[in-house]
Amino acid sequence: MSARMSWRRVLIFAGLTLLASQVNAAGAANVANAAQIERGRYLATAGDCIACHSVAGGKPMAGGLAVATPIGAIIASNITPSKSHGIGNYSLAQFSQAVRHGVRADGAHLYPAMPYTAYARVTDDDMAAMYAWFMHGVAPVDAAPAQTTRLPFPFNIRLSMMAWNWLFLDKQPFVADPARSVEWNRGAYLVQGLGHCGTCHTPRNALMGEQASKQLGGANLGTWSAPNITSDVNSGVGSWSQQELAAYLRTGRSAQRGQAAGPMAEAIDHSLRHLSEADLNAIALYVKSVPALRDPNDSKPVTQWGQAGDKLAELRGVPLPKDLNRMSGAQLYDANCASCHQAKGQGSFDGSLPPLFHNSTTGRSNTNNLVMAMLDGVQRQGAGVGNADGYLMPAFRQTLSSEQIVSLGNYVQQLYGNPAGKVTLEQVTILRQGGAPSDLIGLVRGSLIVAGLALLLLILWWRRKED
Amino acid sequence: MAEQMTSDYLVIGSGIIGSLAARKLALAGASVLILEAGPRVTRGEIVSRFRNSTRRSDLMSPYPSVPTAPHPIYQPTDSGYLVQAGPYPYPAEYIRQFGGTTWHWAAQAWRNVPNDFRLHSLYGVGVDWPISYDELEPYYQEAEEIMGVSGADNTGSPRKQPFPMEPVIEAYAMRRVRERLAPEYKVVSNTTARNSVSYGGRPACCGNNNCQPICPVDAQYHGGIAALQAEAAGVTIRVNANVYQLEHDAQGRIVAALYYDADKNSHRVTAKTFILAANGIESPRLLLLSASSKYPKGLANSNDMVGRHLMDHPSTSLTFDADEDLWLGRGPQSPSSIGTMRDGAFRGTHAAYRLDFTNISRVDGATRDLISRGVYGEEFERQLRFSSAREMSLKTVLEVLPNPDNRITLSSEKDSMGIPKPQAHYSIGDYTRLGHQRAQKDFAAVARLMGGTNLRPSKEGAYANNQHICGTLSMGRDAAVSVCNEWGRAHEHANLFFCSTGVLPTCGTCNSTENGVALALRTVDHILAEQGIKPAPAPVASAGARV
Repeated sequence: MSARMSWRRVLIFAGLTLLASQVNAAGAANVANAAQIERGRYLATAGDCIACHSVAGGKPMAGGLAVATPIGAIIASNITPSKSHGIGNYSLAQFSQAVRHGVRADGAHLYPAMPYTAYARVTDDDMAAMYAWFMHGVAPVDAAPAQTTRLPFPFNIRLSMMAWNWLFLDKQPFVADPARSVEWNRGAYLVQGLGHCGTCHTPRNALMGEQASKQLGGANLGTWSAPNITSDVNSGVGSWSQQELAAYLRTGRSAQRGQAAGPMAEAIDHSLRHLSEADLNAIALYVKSVPALRDPNDSKPVTQWGQAGDKLAELRGVPLPKDLNRMSGAQLYDANCASCHQAKGQGSFDGSLPPLFHNSTTGRSNTNNLVMAMLDGVQRQGAGVGNADGYLMPAFRQTLSSEQIVSLGNYVQQLYGNPAGKVTLEQVTILRQGGAPSDLIGLVRGSLIVAGLALLLLILWWRRKED
Repeated sequence: MAEQMTSDYLVIGSGIIGSLAARKLALAGASVLILEAGPRVTRGEIVSRFRNSTRRSDLMSPYPSVPTAPHPIYQPTDSGYLVQAGPYPYPAEYIRQFGGTTWHWAAQAWRNVPNDFRLHSLYGVGVDWPISYDELEPYYQEAEEIMGVSGADNTGSPRKQPFPMEPVIEAYAMRRVRERLAPEYKVVSNTTARNSVSYGGRPACCGNNNCQPICPVDAQYHGGIAALQAEAAGVTIRVNANVYQLEHDAQGRIVAALYYDADKNSHRVTAKTFILAANGIESPRLLLLSASSKYPKGLANSNDMVGRHLMDHPSTSLTFDADEDLWLGRGPQSPSSIGTMRDGAFRGTHAAYRLDFTNISRVDGATRDLISRGVYGEEFERQLRFSSAREMSLKTVLEVLPNPDNRITLSSEKDSMGIPKPQAHYSIGDYTRLGHQRAQKDFAAVARLMGGTNLRPSKEGAYANNQHICGTLSMGRDAAVSVCNEWGRAHEHANLFFCSTGVLPTCGTCNSTENGVALALRTVDHILAEQGIKPAPAPVASAGARV
């Protein structure tokens, strides 16, 4: 998609977009009708606006969530129609400019924590519907979020995003591929646009732009890892049926495949589970068509590793070591995991407590999600299986030491998962602290010190090379 | 003497009550240190020990006593830590470890009934509490929201706010018992601190049926969680800090606590306010150990009331085989009871009681019984199946009146740290025995209604203990016969407070923990009010981190 487009096309489409916005601004004078507002609500749900623009227990869209990014926490803004603190004074054109192009009504640039590079795919018609809902369907909150965004230099200068947008923002709305079915095009539109799947699942380059050649190929998010969801049979979702994938997007779990946790659980709870069957099927169809990318460690499907087993014979009758950090993986499993995942890792009879083998969390060589699940548990909101809301799996951050998580994680990988997946003390220590610090700040600052202008030239050269 | 530490508030004991008191102080901005006699423990290692134990029904088997902070152990043999002076044995079990004894409770989190506070005024027995039910009601609620309590709404304890969650789903056996006993008896869901939904970052109960000795998933609230919450709120907990003496100044204010670390090095900790939260046996023991020339009988004890009025809930039971398959063991261990005898004019003559149904799986007990009787082969299998399906049991939870002769004193024997052991003087009074006799009518009726055969009552005159240690630090208006005032403040020491079930002046018919927690939360409110500090609004323990 975007990054491969030529500059000429960018300019042409920017012009078209501008024209389109003006046309729509004129139409905005019309009173929004109920059907349009409702459609806007659905689309805003598909865009998962609430995930960032609300805090737990807070008022919808009133902002305040600190979104962790490699350059620091970005505080989501109040996007209720409040005239004093929200977007109540925005025209449709200004709303569109903010959502699709990352520029506020006052001209300041948004940070790409707001996935406007994806939302740029949204059609004018859908923008108008979302605008109608935001203006008429959201309760205004006349208060600013408690915190404000404070980023380090040079990112505190919002204008710095102009350069970034020049490189990574493609303003062209989605164009249907006439060679593909209506369903596929709907899926592509949702995945690339409002669904902003690539925001997490597509790896980024050194300057945090999505790498188009590796679309949905999987990316580390600092703590949790967004897995490869290309059509590859081993590394991606190629072995899933369209129905299985759609069901997973609705419930957050799939027997013998895996379960959503961390940010994916949030995406399902806030957004995906509210979408229509038709849209979920379309998303699944499209995702299964994304060009396959394979991790060479995945010599078989990530959902096919491991089998039932235990090492009870090794631990019955054997006292615990005096230093509990030296407990064996089998002892730790018996103590902390077996109550729910059962003695042989088989989970509960109906799969609501998942098996640890044939589970994509343990089937990958990247073990970050296994470690994160142990540290922070699996939390669901409003969508738990059998109404089991909240923590489906408790967090062990306070009760297991990092050494114990290493022993336990490796035991689980060896017995139930992909043995190529290793858990290390360094990894657990970093994940416990919230992920590895980004070198982006140093990189950009360093470059600035060496030569302010040279940076831009360097980037341009690099950009051209990518083309 | 090694290293000196100081803190605004010093809490002795990291059990559920001490930890929640400390947490509330810390949330209001205070600097709080907890000294815990025993070691730090985590759920995982306890679960591990439980699974590896050959004595699964011994609730203490996953909690071995440590020499640096011993606690009573009775199986396989009595360790002799709690010395028995008689005439009736008082084999109290408790845990001296991070989090305290509620690691192995069954999460019974009951409120008193309002008349429990006026036992003497209404029925001419026992004593009245210095406060009313209404005064304690908001603190019951606060405790219930922290712990995640649910229960039936018709148990005789009125409430102004709903429980924070629905009860755990009714176990099949309990449903059948409820159905078959109606309308003669009303069987109600027990009030328990057990999650029916994810709450406070902990999952819902999934029916492991080993609430005691350890809930393996923390669906059940306990002191270990409270201690972690206290730490999250900013409290420092020092483990392996076995306090053996409190020091006072010339005015009688407490100035320091002395403790032994695991190597028996002595340390001295100073503080402005001291909160003794070391349970109903270790707390009076420490007061008695702290005798000085100014206080030769021990601290707070000029009236010789410390350690007296020891109460618990003795139990007698009936086991029988029902005429239908019940399969006890699905769901939590102690989910239902009958509360009709918790209050009434009869309290003038005999003990009130609750009738509590067990839902503990019968497989382990029946297996042991059959093996001990030499049954084997097909007959073993047949009988095991029958007993596991049909056997059921109920017990009385009998009230005990405060009796000054039932007491904790210091023994002449020393423990493994060279500190005098606690000694229990105990007896079962006629009031309690008469309550047991009255309950025989109920036992017979329940057996009849369940089509019971092979009735096996507990041995006449034998009363099992329930580890609900009360009374030894009684609060009261009359300073001559109580140890502390209604705020838990020692009558004799202005900066010494008790947060413990020991302060309960009477024991009623419900497990003592929630009363102890609610009183402690009230005490902390009072302490903060005296300092002109408004307590921080308690963070709702909804889905979220453990704070």
